[in-house]
Amino acid sequence: MVVSLISIILLAPLAAFVIFALLGLAKRSFPRQDLLSTLAMLVALGCSLYLIKEIVPKPDPHTVEWISLGNITLSMGFYLDSVTVIMLIVVTLVSSLVHIFSIGYMHGDPRYPRFFAYLSLFSFSMLFLVVSDNLLGIYIGWELVGLCSYLLIGFWFEKDSAANACKKAFLTTRVGDVGMFIGMMMLFTKFNTLSLYDGAQEGIFTQAAAQLTTGDMVWLSIAGILIFCGAIGKSAQMPLHTWLPDAMEGPTPVSALIHAATMVAAGVYLTARMFPILTATSSLVIAYVGGITAIVAATIAIVRFDIKRVLAYSTISQLGYMMLAIGAGSYVAGLFHLTTHAFFKALLFLGSGSVIHAFHAMHAHHDEDHTDEAAHEHDNHGLVHEHGSEIPPDQDMRNMGGLRKKMPITFITMLIATLSISGVPFIFSGFWSKDKILGGVLGRAMEWNSGHHYILFVIALCAAGITAFYMFRLIFMTFFGEPRNQEMHNMAHESPWTMTVPLIVLAALSFPAVNHLWFNKNNFKPPDQPHIQAPQHAYVSPDTKIAFSLFGLSEAEAAEEEGGKDTEQADKAHHAHEVAHNIAMVLSIIVAGLGILLSWLFYHRRRFSAESVATTFRPAYNLFWNKYYFDEFYDGVLVALTVWKSRLFAKFDLSIIDGIVNGVATITRKIFAAFIGFFDNRIVDGIVNRVAEVTWAAGGRIRRIQTGAIQTYLFVVLGGIVLIILIFRAL
Amino acid sequence: MSLQHYLVISSILFTLGIFAVLTRRNAISILMGIELILNSCNLNFAAFSRFVTPPENIDGQIIAIFGIVLAAAEAAVFLAIILAIYREFGSIRPDEVDTLKG
Amino acid sequence: MEFTLKTFIFYGFALITIASAFAVVTVRNIVHAAFALMVTLFGVAGLYVFLQADFLAATQVIVYVGGILVLILFGVMMTSGRLEMRIHIERGQLLLGGGISLALLMLLLTVIANTPGWKNLTDDGTPLPPTTESIGNLILGEKFLLPFEVVSVLLLVALIGAALISRKEVRD
Repeated sequence: MVVSLISIILLAPLAAFVIFALLGLAKRSFPRQDLLSTLAMLVALGCSLYLIKEIVPKPDPHTVEWISLGNITLSMGFYLDSVTVIMLIVVTLVSSLVHIFSIGYMHGDPRYPRFFAYLSLFSFSMLFLVVSDNLLGIYIGWELVGLCSYLLIGFWFEKDSAANACKKAFLTTRVGDVGMFIGMMMLFTKFNTLSLYDGAQEGIFTQAAAQLTTGDMVWLSIAGILIFCGAIGKSAQMPLHTWLPDAMEGPTPVSALIHAATMVAAGVYLTARMFPILTATSSLVIAYVGGITAIVAATIAIVRFDIKRVLAYSTISQLGYMMLAIGAGSYVAGLFHLTTHAFFKALLFLGSGSVIHAFHAMHAHHDEDHTDEAAHEHDNHGLVHEHGSEIPPDQDMRNMGGLRKKMPITFITMLIATLSISGVPFIFSGFWSKDKILGGVLGRAMEWNSGHHYILFVIALCAAGITAFYMFRLIFMTFFGEPRNQEMHNMAHESPWTMTVPLIVLAALSFPAVNHLWFNKNNFKPPDQPHIQAPQHAYVSPDTKIAFSLFGLSEAEAAEEEGGKDTEQADKAHHAHEVAHNIAMVLSIIVAGLGILLSWLFYHRRRFSAESVATTFRPAYNLFWNKYYFDEFYDGVLVALTVWKSRLFAKFDLSIIDGIVNGVATITRKIFAAFIGFFDNRIVDGIVNRVAEVTWAAGGRIRRIQTGAIQTYLFVVLGGIVLIILIFRAL
Repeated sequence: MSLQHYLVISSILFTLGIFAVLTRRNAISILMGIELILNSCNLNFAAFSRFVTPPENIDGQIIAIFGIVLAAAEAAVFLAIILAIYREFGSIRPDEVDTLKG
Repeated sequence: MEFTLKTFIFYGFALITIASAFAVVTVRNIVHAAFALMVTLFGVAGLYVFLQADFLAATQVIVYVGGILVLILFGVMMTSGRLEMRIHIERGQLLLGGGISLALLMLLLTVIANTPGWKNLTDDGTPLPPTTESIGNLILGEKFLLPFEVVSVLLLVALIGAALISRKEVRD
């Protein structure tokens, strides 16, 4: 049952793509590829929801042998636990909604069917990644989603910026993937398997648990960090985050699906999945990478004017949050935030897509006006760098404003998502997940009395406040105030129902109460951790309760679930976490409120001028505006270094290698070739020519025998006869 | 008149025919030489038939008759060829007909 | 061996035959050579008579002298102009040919003289019955019918072949 359900989930989107591909080979296309792909996703969604009932507490791998080389056997299979199911539902749900949204958004695009075929292929790849029970399967899915991301970012490849962005995304993530592959190979060398958790208890997790207790952990730390490198690339963590903002060149539904909700979350999923092998050291590395990413991306987001870029940096920041949670041991909180974030960030992207769509008709007709407008804007600000002119007018928040009345559904749904991501308390899901991350980090800090985690907590708190600030800045600039560009404003209109329905559904999912409809507490069990007793992971135990509460259950119920399992140590940890969560909750409400208030003062009431603040803190502003000079750093250092290195190698090639080659060639030509040439000319040719000359001369003489006169022949014949007879007589 | 008389006569005829074939530079003279050779053969057949086999057995004479017939046929074809050669080369001197010269 | 008239006539025929044959190979005029050949052929016919091969002798005279010799003379007439009546002979070729011929003759004579079964086979002079009837029976009997028919076909082929070769080429 489980296997067939998972097979349907995987095969439905794959079939939609294969139909497109096969028809494509025949130079035809299915007229309603959009409906086909959407239907496939809805089927997958139905099966995923049904799968909730099938979750069993113990992971249940279904494997088949795939490759057998000598004594190495690679198997392929499904691994079904609560994490898998939640990921399946998130992916299929968001994907279905994005499909529906795209029917409206992509309408009229010349490559409309291809877009849906790519979406189907992406969905298949992502689902394959999620259900795989071994690192190889995950890696295959991992690379496939990378490919789909490449194809979809470059979907409008006529635009140079899109073509460059897709290459950048592909290459940047590849850097991380190399690390991941090396990590995989390390694990394979050590454990001789790539299965995470196979039936014979010889999976990576079981063996890693044994390793963790014996204490030989240096290489395990390295392997964990290397695998995390893959996640750094895919989830756009520092320092490989630069591809994600550029990926916004792709169509907006793609940004929502791939670059907000699912593919970038695959890194988080992988890190959470590999949680059992993470050592304290690798956890700390992950936590710091996540924390730094969260704060840096958030600060960059403050100063962006492109609506999609703001959301992109927000995504990076939130992904950093999740990584921070996993690194701090609250991996359930991280996954929970992944789920809530998937819904509200997809909603934000789709909402921005709706706004862009509303402006889009203008874009074509009044391109020139907007460039003028943008130039005018430049003068006013005086601070806007030449980067500003790169923003497409229909994505530039400076052209928006006052859309509240024009697009009520888009406005309300986006407002809900913004409230959720900002952490407005109690009724929005984002508050709970973010709060649990903060609580988890603080709890870890208190429990271990670790300075590292206090720092991380402060970073996370700041990031939370900044998030609230820039998200409300987005809302205020887009929907409130007076229209800044009257002409575009007049053209704007509410989107068709295919686009608003997904917005409403996603908005509903931003409330925890709605999630109860699909989330069944009795079937959701935290993933079984074979080595939960390992001392360095003891803190995991109380944290699992958080997951329950975060999905809408009370702490009491969660405690009931846990039963009397708590050990004394866990009790102490539990206490620390309880205190931490209370503190974290109060603090997070305060910073969120502060952020919203500041945003209101700056951008709605205009009590303070953002420009004057920017002028005052000019160095900081420049730092944020230039995105911490990461791109410049890569261009100036890495690219220049690579070019310099290439030149060096080219010089090396030209002078030394070519020199050697040419030297050898010269020696060969001058000495060997001369000798061999002499040998050939004089001796070989000589012999051949002599033979020919001798033959020629002999022929010239012998041919005289052939006089052509019969009498001569007769002479010879008769003379011969006489001679023969005489000879025989003599004998 | 023993067998050896006839054999000596036919040997001389044969040798003269060979001599003619070897030395005469005229195709028709060569034909005459060939006729001499054939006559010597026929004479031998007749002589062997007379002396070696029983006198009642005259198979040798019949072979000689066939030989004469063949000589007639050979002469006819030979002369036809000579005529063709004459038309082609304007000569019947065998040393001038040397197209096969290497 | 007593020297009888028969012997005398035999030697006479032999001498005529050899002498005329010698003339055939030596005279420079081709027409003379042809007539010398005629004498030779008659001589051989005479020798056949001495061998008591009457039919053969008659055939020799009819076919050779009446047929082949006339054919040769026609050939001479058709191919040789007045200038070419003389047969050209080269001295070196003559010497070489003569040498080889003599060597051959020596060989043959040696073989004849030294072959044991051929000695003392003499003609006792008893007359034999005429051969014509037995030749007719043999040729049209079982023994030589097939060769006879083959030879007749050969003659036909030679006739057609000769006509084909000697006729003027028709170009079309």
